[in-house]
Formats: sequence, structure tokens, C-alpha cells
Amino acid sequence: MLHRLVDLITSLKLTIICLAAAMALIFAGTLAQVHLGIHEAQQRYFQSMFVWWPPEGRGFKIPIFPGGHLIGAVLLINLIAAHIKRFRWTWRKLGIHLTHAGLIIMLAGGLFTDLFAVESHMRLSNGDTKNYSEDMRDTELAVIDTSGDDLDQVTAIPESVLRHNRVIDHWSLPFRIVVRNFYQNSRLKMLSQAGESARPIANQGPGAMIAVDPAPPATAADERDVPSAAIEILRKNGGSLGTWLVSDGLGAPQTFDCGGRTWMITLRPARYYKPYSVTLQKFTHEKYAGTEIPKNFSSKVTLIDPERSVDRDVLIYMNHPLRYRGETFYQAGFQPDDSATILQDVRNPSFIAPYVACVIVAAGLLVQFGFHLVGFSRQRRKALA
Amino acid sequence: MGLSGKLQQSNRAASKAVVVCITVFSALTACEKNSEIKVYRVSKAPLEESGPQQQDAMPTNTAAPRMPGVLAPAAETAVTTPPNWESQPLSQMRQASFLVRGDNGAVVDISLVSLGSAAGDVLENVNRWLGQLGQPPITEQKLPEIAQQLRTSLGDVTIADLTGLPDNSDPARDGRIIAAMATTGNSTLFFKLRGNADLAEAQKGDFIKWVAAVCNAQTQTGPPQMAAAPPNDSGAPRIQWKTPEGWTEVPPSSMRYASFSAPAEDGGKIDISVVTFPGDGGSDADNVNRWRGQIGLAPIDASAVTAQVAPLKTDDTTFSTADIAGDKTRTIAAWTRRDGRVWFFKATGPNASVEKEKPNFVKFIESVRF
Repeated sequence: MLHRLVDLITSLKLTIICLAAAMALIFAGTLAQVHLGIHEAQQRYFQSMFVWWPPEGRGFKIPIFPGGHLIGAVLLINLIAAHIKRFRWTWRKLGIHLTHAGLIIMLAGGLFTDLFAVESHMRLSNGDTKNYSEDMRDTELAVIDTSGDDLDQVTAIPESVLRHNRVIDHWSLPFRIVVRNFYQNSRLKMLSQAGESARPIANQGPGAMIAVDPAPPATAADERDVPSAAIEILRKNGGSLGTWLVSDGLGAPQTFDCGGRTWMITLRPARYYKPYSVTLQKFTHEKYAGTEIPKNFSSKVTLIDPERSVDRDVLIYMNHPLRYRGETFYQAGFQPDDSATILQDVRNPSFIAPYVACVIVAAGLLVQFGFHLVGFSRQRRKALA
Repeated sequence: MGLSGKLQQSNRAASKAVVVCITVFSALTACEKNSEIKVYRVSKAPLEESGPQQQDAMPTNTAAPRMPGVLAPAAETAVTTPPNWESQPLSQMRQASFLVRGDNGAVVDISLVSLGSAAGDVLENVNRWLGQLGQPPITEQKLPEIAQQLRTSLGDVTIADLTGLPDNSDPARDGRIIAAMATTGNSTLFFKLRGNADLAEAQKGDFIKWVAAVCNAQTQTGPPQMAAAPPNDSGAPRIQWKTPEGWTEVPPSSMRYASFSAPAEDGGKIDISVVTFPGDGGSDADNVNRWRGQIGLAPIDASAVTAQVAPLKTDDTTFSTADIAGDKTRTIAAWTRRDGRVWFFKATGPNASVEKEKPNFVKFIESVRF
């Protein structure tokens, strides 16, 4: 039984099946981007164990194809197991070993990137300074204790927690948060403009005068969901303080008092704070003379890191990102009137893996074909002699 | 060991590898990204104090160490700067920031930054500045030709005057750095003037006077203080007013020009603030809606804001005023723009108490003299 299982897992057939499945998955995933948008398609097809089929109007879903994670994992296991099973150390097989090791690093690097890479952006107007970047997709409910003299204590509750947990009871908060409604995407309207049948979902703050319409998830690359939620604040010893509407579409945070302290709540893009700051000195948008065709975008920024005594100017432009403390800032966008720049901030601990893998694979192939070439030459020389 | 034995060994090794791989993969994929509640502290980013143009500016993460500088805030207010130095918003590290505008779009940027004692020696910093101007580094022997010493009560300050235009840079905004570096016990102060070469030459005298004045002020202001809080807007001119009876002046926070407290009926307090910024401070609609948001009211459109804003003429100037009442809290505000600055006067507190205090607030506004 074990023999048969090991034979199956280490078989070349399984490799071929996985590669064929990966090709089919990429094809289907690419087509799906038309309707789902790139982010949703990536989630459903490539960053999942299975591709699910959700029949319209049914309450269940069934797996119809292996997802990217499953195919990648099986391929990785197949490669490692086959390599271990057939491993025989000889110099003549050095090339094969190196090539396999390179492929394993590449697959593992892909998985690590998928799991641990964080992409966010930093929007800066001329003269602005920030020490945090914001997630392009995920939001968070920031509950801020403003009672400190110099510092605010922020409890950042991720969107995934709001979506899955009805009651949030955290040690840092003297109250419970009950999520009454959560909309992944929504449109906000003043009640006076929303028609007579519209009802507010909150009874405190501006939310009491606002109607929330659910909206389908944004699919275009330049669109962003406007998540909204109705949250009720309950004292831990009982009693409700009211229900607030929190939304990425509302501007200023809202305040309430509880436990003798003043609290602010706001639903905002998830923030990633950094131990350094970036100041935009100047954003430049050059065009070809007499046309509106862009020639170059660049952002001149000052990087200040008190911990490392760094204070330097950096010019970020196409193919010249700023790399600092494991993060890479690319010139990604700009405000239409050129008043602000948008830098994409990528933190990918395994960014080096594809480079290392390619070098090892190339070295392995060189060694392998080198051995063959030398052997072939020797045989030919012998034959000629 | 026979062939079958070797095969069995290989199979066992392969099956172990499979189990390890599956376990590691399951563990990695089990944890969902961004699914943990995080708690952290950031420096206060008060809505009313940051002003409309600085809404997003710098909530400082405490994970970042506080600045090690020892610049005494008193030095900032005591040292006067030339009138053509426009005060700029301060960033995390900049403890003073100015912009000087010349003819044909020429500008120079002037800053004061405080770093730790390990901020490099003079040669390293001079070479860093040369690098910023696209110039090659120099050796120790060349340093005396570039650097001069300025004697202050803080000790000798090294001043370097460097010229060079980096590739693709605008000569109206770059071309020269005049920098001063002062080392104290546990910090290094960097004064820097950078911008158009001709304008920099014209400002050099004022810059060196300012460096000397700030350094001298350091030794006059007593023990070092934490400099994490940005100093007050040093470019703000002095104004005068008559404080109404019953109001208590309280020490202003970093961004406030002045703060007062008045008693409220239920034992609470009415908070009265005076805030000023260079520039126009954003539109009236933006400001009124920001104040509405702070007391839990929904924003209104610009025409509705205009209808709510009433002028208040005083002997000195004309203020715009707004009275915004929420469910429990009420804000009355008066603001005016003059000499390239905006001044906000604001009182916030419980509804009934603010109503009672309103005549005093109006008297206060009427007494303001610029």
C-alpha cells in the first residue's frame, strides 16, 4: 500500500497532470478576470485549494477543479519526494540535483510570496510626510482611545474579523462591538435623497441620517470597494451605547464616551506603520513636447529614519524603486492634477527566491549539458583516433 | 544491503518527505492574512489641530524611537526669522522648516533636523550632501577648503557651502547646499539650506545668523527637553486679545497657538483654542464639515455651509463665524485670513454651556488685535 502511494506521489505522470492542470487553471483564471476583476480572480483561482462552483441562488458550492495552492503544493511534494526517492550522489548527477533544487526553491518561493508578501500604497501630496502605507484592498475598523496625553491607543480590527465575527470582545476595549450589518461594497446616500422607504442602519452620529445601499463587489482594476458596517457598542456590564455607521465612504472619525474615556471609531484602509518616514518633495510628470503622451513620472522624496540616522533624498521613477528595510517603493500612480503621487509599497520577504532559483537552475543545466558535451567529445575523439 | 533494501529505504525517506511537506503546507496556508486584531500606540493626530492641509500628517508610531534631539522648544519661539522665510508644516524629523521664494520661480528650502550622536562625522556628512548635489566625494585633506567654523555658545559649528546641480534637476530649485552641523552631548543638529544657487547666496547671511541664534538659544533655555513634539509655528506673528473673565489659560499643545478652558454647567469644561497656519487653511466648506464631523454631524454641501457662515466685523478685521450644534455638543468658531495666514478661534463644549458662554466668546473675538 505504502509502495503504491509513494509510487503515485513520485511518479512523472503526476508531474505531467499537475502541469496540465496548471495550464488549464491559468487559462480559465485569465478569462475569469473579465467578469471578476483581477483581484477576485486571483483569490478564487490561484490563491485557493479548489475552484468552487456556486450555483446561482443555491446555498451550497462544490469544488470543480483544483486551485493554485493545491496544484502548486502537489507539484512541490511530487518534486521533493521524487528527488529524495531517486537521489544517488554521483558527480555526473550534480546538474540534475541542482536543477531540481532550483525548481523546488522557485515553487516554495512562489508559495511564500503568496502567503507573506504585502502590497500597499502610500499617497503623498507635495510636502506631505507619512510613516504608514495603506492597503489597496483590506480595510480595518480603528477604535482609538484618545484619553492619553501624548499618544492614542489604536485597536485595529481587520475587515476579515468584522465579516466573520458577530461579537468582538477584546482585552483592549472596555466594551463589546456587535457587528449588525457588514457590506463589502456599498453606496451611501443622505436619507433625504434616498426616498421615503429608506431607513438608516444606525441611530448615532451621521449614520442616523444616511441610507446604505449594498453594491456588487468592484471588479475593475481602478475601482475600490466602499465597505460599510453598522456596529453596536455594548458596555461589558450591559447596556447599549447605540449603533454607529462606519464606512470607508465617511470622512472624519466619529466619537463616543465609554468608561470615562473618549473613543474614536473609523473604518479606513488597513495601515502598515513603519519606523521611518517618507516626505514628498516634488512629483514630476513629464510629457513629450506638444502631446499629452507621458514621458516620465518621478517622485523626489526624503527618507528619514531616526533609528538609523538616515536623512537622504531619493528619486523614485520607472525601474528605479526605493528599496529600504526590506520594502520596495515603486512609482505607481498620481493624482490627475499632478498634486499627489502614489507609491506602491511591496514587502516580500522571499523576493530573492526566483533570482536564486534561476541561477541554480541555469548552473544545473550548464553542468548537466557540460558533462554530456565533454563525454560526447571524448567519444568522438576516440572514434576518430 | 540488497537492491530491495535500498528501494525500501528510499520509499521510507520519500514518504517522510511527503508527510513533512503536507504538514508545513497545511500550517502555512491555515493562517489567514490580516486576521489578527492589532493594538498599538501612535502620537496624537488631532483633527482640529492638524488643519485641513495636514489631515493625514504623521501619526507617529511609537515603535519608531523618539527623536533623540535636544532642541528646546523655547529656542524656536525666541529666535526670530527673516520675514521672507515662509514657515512650512513640520514633519517627524524637521524641527524647523522654511521656504524662501525668489524671482523666476527660484526657491530654497531651509530645515533644522536633530539626529542622534551617531549621525556620522563632518566628512561623511559633507560627502552625503555632495552626493545629493551629484558631486563626487572629497577626501579629509580637502575638507578645510569647504568647511568653516562658526563659534557659538553651543560650541563650534561646522558650516559647509557646496555647489552642484544633479542630473535632471531644476536649477530654480536646486544647485547649492549650505549646511551647518552642531554636535551636542547626545545629539547632532543639522541646519540645511538647499535650493537655487543665487537665492541661496542671497540668504546665506540670514541663514548663518539663524544658525548662531538657535545654537545660542540652546544654552539659554535650561535643561534639554524631549523634542518629539513639534515646536510651535515659529513663523506666527504675535497677536493680542483680552481674555474674558472665567476663562483659564492652559498650556497650548504643540500645534495650538493658545488654549483656554471655561467651566461648563455639569462640571465639565468648554475647550477654547487658537490655531494658526500659513496659507489659506482650506475652504470654509471643508473646515465647517470637519468641525461637524467632530461633533457627530453629517457633512453638508458648500451652499448650505455658506448659508450658515455669518460675518463678524471687529475694529481690526472681519471674521467669518459658524455656530454648529450637535445632539449634545456645540462648536462655535471664528476665523480670518490675513498676511498669508489663517487664524481659527474655536470653542467646543456641552450645548447649554456653550450657549451661555457665547457672548464671552464674541467679546474675545472682538478684542483680538493683529
